[in-house]
Amino acid sequence: MRVGVLGIGKTPHKIQHDKSLRDLIVDSGRLAMDDAGVSPTDIQAYYLGNAGCTGFAFENSVALMGADHLGLTPAPAVRVEAACGTGAWALHLGVVAILSGLYDTVLVMGAEKMNDLATVEGTSIIAQAADSKEEYFSGLTFPSGVALTARKYMQVYGCTEEDLAHVSVKNHHYGARNPYAHLRFECTVEDVMRSAKVADPLKLYEVCPMTDAGSALVLCREEILRDQPDKEQVYITATSMGSGTWYAASDTLDDAYDLLHKPAQKAYAMAGLTPKDMDVAEIYNSFAIQEPLGIESLGFAKQGDGWKGAKDGSTWIDGKVGVNLSGGLLCKGHPLGATGTSQAVDVVEQLRGTAPKDIQRGNVSTGISACRGGPGAVAAIHIYQRLEG
Amino acid sequence: MTVSAIEFSRLGPPKLTLYAMRCTSCRTLHPWWEKYTCGVCRSRELVEERLEGTGELSNYTVVYYPPRDFLGQEPYVVGHITMDEGVLMPAPVVGVAPEDVAVGTRVKAVLRRMKLGHEGDIYYSQKFVVDPNPPRRKAATKHVAAKSAPRRARAK
Repeated sequence: MRVGVLGIGKTPHKIQHDKSLRDLIVDSGRLAMDDAGVSPTDIQAYYLGNAGCTGFAFENSVALMGADHLGLTPAPAVRVEAACGTGAWALHLGVVAILSGLYDTVLVMGAEKMNDLATVEGTSIIAQAADSKEEYFSGLTFPSGVALTARKYMQVYGCTEEDLAHVSVKNHHYGARNPYAHLRFECTVEDVMRSAKVADPLKLYEVCPMTDAGSALVLCREEILRDQPDKEQVYITATSMGSGTWYAASDTLDDAYDLLHKPAQKAYAMAGLTPKDMDVAEIYNSFAIQEPLGIESLGFAKQGDGWKGAKDGSTWIDGKVGVNLSGGLLCKGHPLGATGTSQAVDVVEQLRGTAPKDIQRGNVSTGISACRGGPGAVAAIHIYQRLEG
Repeated sequence: MTVSAIEFSRLGPPKLTLYAMRCTSCRTLHPWWEKYTCGVCRSRELVEERLEGTGELSNYTVVYYPPRDFLGQEPYVVGHITMDEGVLMPAPVVGVAPEDVAVGTRVKAVLRRMKLGHEGDIYYSQKFVVDPNPPRRKAATKHVAAKSAPRRARAK
């Protein structure tokens, strides 16, 4: 399969008190359409990933609002929700829509406005992505649910809190060099260890911030992009989704591994590629521990060894595979619905060679993005390739 | 979370005792009071099974940033408890300072005030305390038959 990436656009990731949800939608949508060289009337369908507008903004049918403000009507528009995998699901639906043959050109977007509310309200809204009637009744939060996984991981695979801190050090090294990132500072292992406790053993520098952002892609049939050789020839060559445990209680380390591993295997088969072929990877890491989990699931390290990459350099920019050269969610923040699309845009930038200078890996031809959501419930893998001729 | 009166009536009797759901087909025990399809064998026949309320703390975290309904309780301990019936459940562990919590501790369920609702209504649920009289031998993790008949079978 091949689906053309005709255009990309993204807003900065940060607290944007001067921007509403509709501003983020309009900004990212216009950037992507301008980059693609299409007008709103060329867009035949619009998929907007947004996870929390009913809570964060007391709005619901925001895709219809976006379609109106972007001038896309009468093209069909729908809001997509799948916890933290929301944006990646919007992308999947856009890819499937093109592959179906029903549409030639579609707009895929993720947008989230989180910072109109205080952290405690935001935490409560985010917790709705789990079973808030039963499990989260126990005072569990997303950070504390993942903290349980982190402690289990350390016990079973024999790594320390200091070992895991290297993941944050690597992400912040690149986040500091990404003008679009929310947190732009470097830190040391000692800084990570000294940062405030959020949910033991997770510390502040191992947790993503709440962020306002939008990002979008214009997708098209393969032939449309191929017929424009002056445009960057970047294609999505695999899309693979999955689901897993809805309860943190039953989310074992093996569940956490399988969640991304199974769809990743399908995606590699779909693209006819192996983990060794990947130059860059954007791996969901709203909490630092999720990066090693993803590295293992994607086949870059064997189960239990994923934490070593940040320490030994093999997941840095000049390593075997550059993981989260954008700074990851730890630095970009986690604008729920916009996270999946932001990963896609960042991988496409690496393939085009247009990433910010200090975080652009040399000679990138293949990349992968892995998004997850819910306690262990949503999985999304996409593979991207630069294909000349 | 606010529970309206009508929703409260649908929830049935207050869940003041710990239950899990037993698959009548493959016998897998699933945590919590509701499970409509067994994730192992896909059977739709599951029945409530009362838990003894005792188990071992197999993992824990300390929450420093709580959700709205738990504001003021932080820092508090949420444990992963391996119940003697073999099922894993997250629940608050109280009566012990965060720095004194240890994996492997025997714990037992107690009914405690969980949180205040938006209308000032008090929510009660299970928390866990260190078991003052742990069994001499670690209880077997094999299936323990429910002492009472299931309150209702659920077949959907």
